[in-house]
Amino acid sequence: MGDYVWFHDVSWHATYAIYFFVIGIVAGLTFLSFLSWHNEALKPIRASSAWGALVLLAIGGLLLIADLSQPLRFLNILNPFYLNFGSPLAWGALNIVSFGIALVVYLFMLRKGDGRGGRWMAGIAALLALGLPIYTGFDLTVHQSRPVWNTPIIPVLFVAMAIASGSAVASLLAGGNAATQATLRQYLLWSTAAVGVMLVSILGTTHHGGSAQELTYLILTTGTMGLIFVGIGIVAGTAAPIALLLAPFGRQQLGVVLAGLLVLAGGAALRYALLMGPQQLQTLY
Amino acid sequence: MSEELRVSPIETREAPGKRRFAMVVDTRRCIGCMACQVACKAEYDTPLGVNRTWVPYKVVGKYPNVKKQFLPRLCNHCDDPPCVRNCPVEATYKLEDGGFVLQRYERCIGCRSCMAACPYNARFMLPSHRTYTPITNVVDKCTFCFHRVTQNLVPACVQTCIGRSRIFGDLNDPNSEVSYLVATNATQVLRPEEGTKPHVFYIGADRNATEFPRDAYRQPEVMEQERAAFKRHFDIRGDNHG
Repeated sequence: MGDYVWFHDVSWHATYAIYFFVIGIVAGLTFLSFLSWHNEALKPIRASSAWGALVLLAIGGLLLIADLSQPLRFLNILNPFYLNFGSPLAWGALNIVSFGIALVVYLFMLRKGDGRGGRWMAGIAALLALGLPIYTGFDLTVHQSRPVWNTPIIPVLFVAMAIASGSAVASLLAGGNAATQATLRQYLLWSTAAVGVMLVSILGTTHHGGSAQELTYLILTTGTMGLIFVGIGIVAGTAAPIALLLAPFGRQQLGVVLAGLLVLAGGAALRYALLMGPQQLQTLY
Repeated sequence: MSEELRVSPIETREAPGKRRFAMVVDTRRCIGCMACQVACKAEYDTPLGVNRTWVPYKVVGKYPNVKKQFLPRLCNHCDDPPCVRNCPVEATYKLEDGGFVLQRYERCIGCRSCMAACPYNARFMLPSHRTYTPITNVVDKCTFCFHRVTQNLVPACVQTCIGRSRIFGDLNDPNSEVSYLVATNATQVLRPEEGTKPHVFYIGADRNATEFPRDAYRQPEVMEQERAAFKRHFDIRGDNHG
């Protein structure tokens, strides 16, 4: 009682979590469009997933710019005289722009029906898309003072979440195509399982850490944040879809779509909690 | 610190021919008058709801033997500052001669990456409207009163400190008062485990006060209620926060 504590504001707000979610789907859809050149079952979603990625990239880019307190200065980040190559944000900006260009060229080739060129551009776009969840992961990982963020596994977790979220959206795009849904079921199952394994690893490590880790664990697993992270993110968005996909109903098209919707809800919740939870403790310091 | 101990080229502590300004805060002399906070606010027209320096306190002990423990806070002007590493456009930089960690307002894009990187919460976002100062919507922080120090003055908070709790000077100068205090007293820095090599040294700080405060151990819901109450009373910054 009687203490004087200055409550600081969190640095990054929920807009950034929405951006993480959207950009993860963009990367996942681009991977699937690339894989459609090597797997016939995915061919029906080749164009739709690439177009979906472009639309979501535009939304994500606008979100990112709108979140800046000086939105018109976003061009500073592309100014070679200003760029600090020690910052993951600088690499991220270059990655987004180069990915956007590659995706537009890829879509142009798809429209022209250029099979050989499209195949190559799909590969380049997928490679650049891989950088999106990796750089967003590094955005968090480099912050040495934040438990959970400062975990080397975060970029890998974001890649797995991107594949899961992308497959979930693709299952909606695939409609009634049984072969496509069967392939997407495999991607959903394995990527969500990978997410689950990494979350257990992160939670276990955090729980066994020092006071900052212990408090961050408490913030992430109790109260409203606990409901979002554990309830929606882990139970409803990771464990439930795995169980559903393994059940006989999960082999049906409706089961895959339902699991996909759960993965999307879980993916949004996990990104929100992973962004906001570890910032709460720091506001008290 | 010998040259071999400087692990990063950005570090200037004991670098020959370079000044390395530092502040010593003797908490035994702090009376909690908050004059430093007021002087800083007056010097920079710092808006309500944010601070370049602030003086949180804890009430320790059990009645009737109680006392307030003050821990004046400000930017630590780290020798290896994570905010500088994280800024994508080099809006935050460290001055080689003097070790000041400064901000280029005209370059800052407001991504708040430096705020997220700072282990000391020393950075804040300026509001979109200010009465007298045109610098808005960018990240700001303590500058160790760079403009005063270059005029051979001490920072405003040091100038006004009635108990001489805050002492400022060049740590690379063996004859300075800060060098003497750091050499002859047991000093602490905040969160040394982060490896940032802070240049605000505390004498007599309670370890319990330099770590996460007791509030962090309360129920998150109670914490949120208190935070909401705090925001109602102090936070009038408008649309620049979530």
